[in-house]
Amino acid sequence: MARTVMRFTGVGGQGVLLAGEIFAEAKIKAGGFGQKTATYTSQVRGGPTVVDIILDDDEIFYPYANDGEIDFMLSVAQVSFNSFKGGVSEGGTIVVEPNLVHPTEEDRKKWNIVEIPIITIAKEEVGNVITQSVVALAIANTYMNAIDRQVLIDTMLSKVPAKVHELNLKAFDLGEKYAKEAMAK
Amino acid sequence: MATREVISSGNELAALAAADAGCKFFGGYPITPSSEVMHEMSDLMPERGGACIQMEDEIAGVAAAIGASMSGVRSMTATSGPGISLKAENLGLAQMAEVPLVVVNVMRGGPSTGLPTRVSQGDIAQAKNPSHGDYKSITLCAGNLAECYTETVRAFNLADRFMQPVFVLLDETIGHMHGKAMLPTEEEVTVGIKPRKEFTGDSSEYHPYGVAQDEPAVLNPMFKGYKYHFTGLHHDKNGFPTEEIETCRKLIERLFNKVEAHEEELESYEEFMMEDAEFLLIAYGSVSLAAKEAIRHLRAAGIKAGLFRPITMWPSPAKRIKHWTDKIQKVLIVELNIGQYRDEIQRASGRLDIEGLFKVNGRPISPYEIVEKVKGM
Repeated sequence: MARTVMRFTGVGGQGVLLAGEIFAEAKIKAGGFGQKTATYTSQVRGGPTVVDIILDDDEIFYPYANDGEIDFMLSVAQVSFNSFKGGVSEGGTIVVEPNLVHPTEEDRKKWNIVEIPIITIAKEEVGNVITQSVVALAIANTYMNAIDRQVLIDTMLSKVPAKVHELNLKAFDLGEKYAKEAMAK
Repeated sequence: MATREVISSGNELAALAAADAGCKFFGGYPITPSSEVMHEMSDLMPERGGACIQMEDEIAGVAAAIGASMSGVRSMTATSGPGISLKAENLGLAQMAEVPLVVVNVMRGGPSTGLPTRVSQGDIAQAKNPSHGDYKSITLCAGNLAECYTETVRAFNLADRFMQPVFVLLDETIGHMHGKAMLPTEEEVTVGIKPRKEFTGDSSEYHPYGVAQDEPAVLNPMFKGYKYHFTGLHHDKNGFPTEEIETCRKLIERLFNKVEAHEEELESYEEFMMEDAEFLLIAYGSVSLAAKEAIRHLRAAGIKAGLFRPITMWPSPAKRIKHWTDKIQKVLIVELNIGQYRDEIQRASGRLDIEGLFKVNGRPISPYEIVEKVKGM
């Protein structure tokens, strides 16, 4: 793997920042370079948020994703989807939460749009909406195969309190399961 | 040099550096995008036998930090541009009374409240002269995660050496980016700590401001038996207000000269791919990261570009700037402001044909924008 560029987008308060941090840290632990940057507005909640994740075997200088170089995007809010989809390379994968994001027909022609109900999975199947960032993490890694699965899980567990380890493992497994199902379609 | 790998953000690394450098007090008021410095200090200070206080506003924050420093401990405040505007009067007091202090400024869009969450380098000129009056600023600028740590450590040593506030400039991008940094070990930082001078003779012979014209005041910790007066007014060798003509002149000239006479101690810069460069890029802070990536692309396209990156911004590495601008015809400075440092490059180089690529909408400058600009020159 030379360089993987991913983008997670949502609105402030959804917890997309954490998934980026976990990815960057896991890549560094696996022996490479990882960088996470976040861009958000001054609205504490509800403003569009974008997290760029760059994983590379070589040193990373510029920490943001360059437009047209993003391999994978995940979006859980329409406003962010609209604002940030333009950076994804043509034919790249965009995973959206279908209850909240409604891509146009043009979008579907340009990108590989995948619908996975990330928030519903977190809320109803895992049982805690906060775990959506871990569901998203698992989905992204299943698609991108960016990081060794166990390194990613270990890093994720190191970033969440011990009492919710099982819950987050469940979220990870479910994210992986849904992603594999979507890929098989 | 022994190193340790740390995964963190720029703001958190600045706080860690402060703690490792022996800082024992943080006084401040949180403001985006610098708040994580204070969050981290609120954990680190009690752990390391220090204190962190959130005051009622930025003005009180720096006032508390100055007070702590007068008691002899290393002290810090952190804020963003609007906070520096508020702290300016007290920063002037610290310059005049010669109180060491580290001031971290994580730059965001301005003027006024501007763009709170977005990146800018609009405080370069402010850092040179935040307060009225004559003095010489010491301002360091971190250009990557590791430097958020190492430059903060250096700032503490310089503050104690020169007895004045030292600015550490971060910007929103550097402050918030999260990744790997290779840092010196804590032991190495501890060994490198150079505490401020202390007078140990008979108290009757103690004249804190009665020093050579190229040296800083020697301020012993307050309430330890060495009495002196502390004021923002022009003062004599014991700190008492005076309007005596020669004393006033010598005081201000000394504030200026104590830095100017020792500029070689302060000079710091990075040269990236300059050995065979035919095109000179100048950038600092987070913009230098985009410039480095741009240089990779430019060299792949056969354009021999190199980067000169000032780390000590004030006083500027003027001689080294002139060395390169004398040698290389095509020069481009890239900044997230409208040429605040270009003025200094023009002054140092004596050239008025320095091209600029500037942006002030709160968005970073991408490597491709730099590549385009260079190709068009």
